[in-house]
Amino acid sequence: MSKRPAYYHFLGCIIPHRYPSIEKATKLVFNDLGIDLLDMVGASCCPAPGVFGSFDRVTWATIAARNLTIAEQGGHPITTGCNGCFASLWDSNHELKEDEELRAAVNRNLADIGREFKGTIEVTHYLDVLHDVVGTQKVKEHVTRPLNGVRMALHPGCHWMRPKLVKKKDDSERPHIFREICETSGAKYVHYKDELICCGAGGAVRTADLKTSLDFTKQKFDSIAAAGGADVIVTPCPFCLLQLDTGQVEIQKLFGVEYKFDIMHVSELLALAFGHEPDEFGLANHLQYSQRKTEPNWERLNLRAKAKATA
Amino acid sequence: MAENWGQLKSFEGKKFEALDAEFTKEVSKLIGGQDLTACFQCAKCSAGCPVSDKVNIQVHELMRMLLFGFREVLDTDMVWLCTTCYQCQQRCPQGIEITDIIFGLKNMAFRKGITPPGYVTSRKALYDNGKLYEPTDWERDDLALPPVPHLDVAETRKVLGKTGLMRLQEGE
Ligand code: SF4
Ligand code: SF4
Repeated sequence: MSKRPAYYHFLGCIIPHRYPSIEKATKLVFNDLGIDLLDMVGASCCPAPGVFGSFDRVTWATIAARNLTIAEQGGHPITTGCNGCFASLWDSNHELKEDEELRAAVNRNLADIGREFKGTIEVTHYLDVLHDVVGTQKVKEHVTRPLNGVRMALHPGCHWMRPKLVKKKDDSERPHIFREICETSGAKYVHYKDELICCGAGGAVRTADLKTSLDFTKQKFDSIAAAGGADVIVTPCPFCLLQLDTGQVEIQKLFGVEYKFDIMHVSELLALAFGHEPDEFGLANHLQYSQRKTEPNWERLNLRAKAKATA
Repeated sequence: MAENWGQLKSFEGKKFEALDAEFTKEVSKLIGGQDLTACFQCAKCSAGCPVSDKVNIQVHELMRMLLFGFREVLDTDMVWLCTTCYQCQQRCPQGIEITDIIFGLKNMAFRKGITPPGYVTSRKALYDNGKLYEPTDWERDDLALPPVPHLDVAETRKVLGKTGLMRLQEGE
């Protein structure tokens, strides 16, 4: 047996503090797949690329590099389940390796806290680990409860695969990797016209102008409805998830239109498909349910029997 | 149309001081800025941009304002309503790094104090806590999740003091 792969688990801000169900589901799934996730003691905010990248590039890169040095010291790559954290950590890692001027400026800042960016580790997204290290075939072998008959719309989000020429992950105009991973769950992929537009939260537009940002989200929901609807929307990013999840409550308040989509992070989808119960990772704790005093649509998700048993 | 952000709502009746050499020099130094003259105004960027129908000034217009050296570009809603989705950058037939340019414009606007208030709140949260959210411990306990790994805020504050994040705006 070869050694189990190990990654520093970069949690970021949203997963552990707003959607801990994603963290729990990820730990279940990675454990099932034989991959170790290591605590990253001392990690701060990535920092949020749309906000801190907008203030000052050197500050953004310095805070990101400080996080990278924690992994460099331990000698393991990083993995994250957030497109935003991925954008800050991957982009800064990439830029610091290429841009000597930036690296010098960042290391001048880090010297004050006794750290130095060396450029010795890689940054991955869960999607990279699932696709490139585990492989979709092996992911499929762990599926014991296929979500047959569940209609699944995807929201891949932007920053794992864009900009295409720099990231070199997938053809971001016609992506297939995220879809292949999600399809291992047995759910049926539903294509809709606006699959590739931003969730609305990106670049912190959510912070700049909530109404404009919800406009996108609504456009997405309407596009899914026009494609015949979906039982679940799956995304690889907790910020997109937050926007799609609580956005439904906000849209109802601001525009008076009601949508009832269950939203899942790809880790949660896989945890279910791997046979874990929704209670085991707290699927029903998503913010839209607590804000609306509702619960996931167990019947549509084919999880009805269990819901009754735990009721 | 976005009502909440951006002072420059329309070109109608506006007079601009064109070819402000200093400004053009400044923006051409931004990442991607060296290619401003390659833009031939095909507007493919705006065709794919998800905020085109929500902003007053679209991204291809922003690109031309830059080339003409209009400082007023920092007052457009496009700068802060850009979601950084990179769609424009990926589709530009001239290979211009449009999104990267907009990031640079945000940096310039921020220094001049032209920033939506929510961003300034996030800046304080990062300085104070090193993170943007506080944990809800009961929920983590319910899921038998261990505490979030410790962060020494003194360290992040020290390095933010060094980068000058809290006094980057002119006059701060
Ligand atoms: S797509 Fe490129 S060349 Fe065309 S208008 Fe936009 S920036 Fe200019
Ligand atoms: S990166 Fe910004 S300007 Fe470009 S398409 Fe996306 S939202 Fe529009």
